[in-house]
Amino acid sequence: MNEIPRQEAPGRLQPMLSARWFWYALICVICWGGWALLSKLGSREIPPDTMQFLFTVGTLPIGLALLIARRGRLEKSTRGIAYGVLNGVLSGVGGLALFAAYHTNGNTTLITATSALYPMITVVLAVVILRESFRPIQALGLVFAAIAIVIFSL
Amino acid sequence: MHIPPWLLYSILTLIAWGVVGLLQKLSTNYISAESSLIWLVVGFLILEPFFYRGPAIFHYSKVNLTYALLSGLLNAVGAWALFASLKSGGKASIVAPLTALYPVVVIALVPVLLHESVPPLQWAGVGCALIAVILLSA
Repeated sequence: MNEIPRQEAPGRLQPMLSARWFWYALICVICWGGWALLSKLGSREIPPDTMQFLFTVGTLPIGLALLIARRGRLEKSTRGIAYGVLNGVLSGVGGLALFAAYHTNGNTTLITATSALYPMITVVLAVVILRESFRPIQALGLVFAAIAIVIFSL
Repeated sequence: MHIPPWLLYSILTLIAWGVVGLLQKLSTNYISAESSLIWLVVGFLILEPFFYRGPAIFHYSKVNLTYALLSGLLNAVGAWALFASLKSGGKASIVAPLTALYPVVVIALVPVLLHESVPPLQWAGVGCALIAVILLSA
């Protein structure tokens, strides 16, 4: 009887490591780490709004490369397109609001920490609207993520 | 009740980006990761006039201009990977907090690339982030 849990224990990480979504998420983390570092370096001289302008110009080659790779053929889902475009617009609106927050001379750390906690909103929306299941162990993970995000803002 | 302007703006950012996390999943429910990225860039372009501050842009140093452009390039590759993660079964409630932990990479790179020391508290943050990754992905 005792041997079964022993066999299962090391296998717990297995689903995570063999899941494609996890590795894609990891690629995202690495790329965004590079983005954050380069933004930090560039913004030593360039003001935030111009950084945002140049940032968008920088995203163009990837968008064009994917468009060429797909030979211009994009799915004709109105909903998919609307959600996709809204992603970009809302990201920009969030960015503009953040610049406005920094301009108010409020506490920079508090502003950074508050805005960086956005995944907490996503989790609530995903559970309520998309009915995604969220287990207690994942809630504990979310607490650690929130602590990490706040520390990173300091 | 008086809400200070910085808090109002910060909450607006919090909500806008929080909703973006949901929309990312919704867009990959209907279209591919590649199309999601293309339409995301279109969305970015719509707001581009709000960020343009005239031809002064060309007076910044070439190095910093390159950093700014490359930051956008890397962000787009990251966004594509995020869409691919959601498209291949990643849940928004897991992928959003997981990918928000990207400052870990910055903290790991800073001593190597910028030869700056990282305060111990930030390393504690990295520890929390790693625990978060394991628990969120469990």
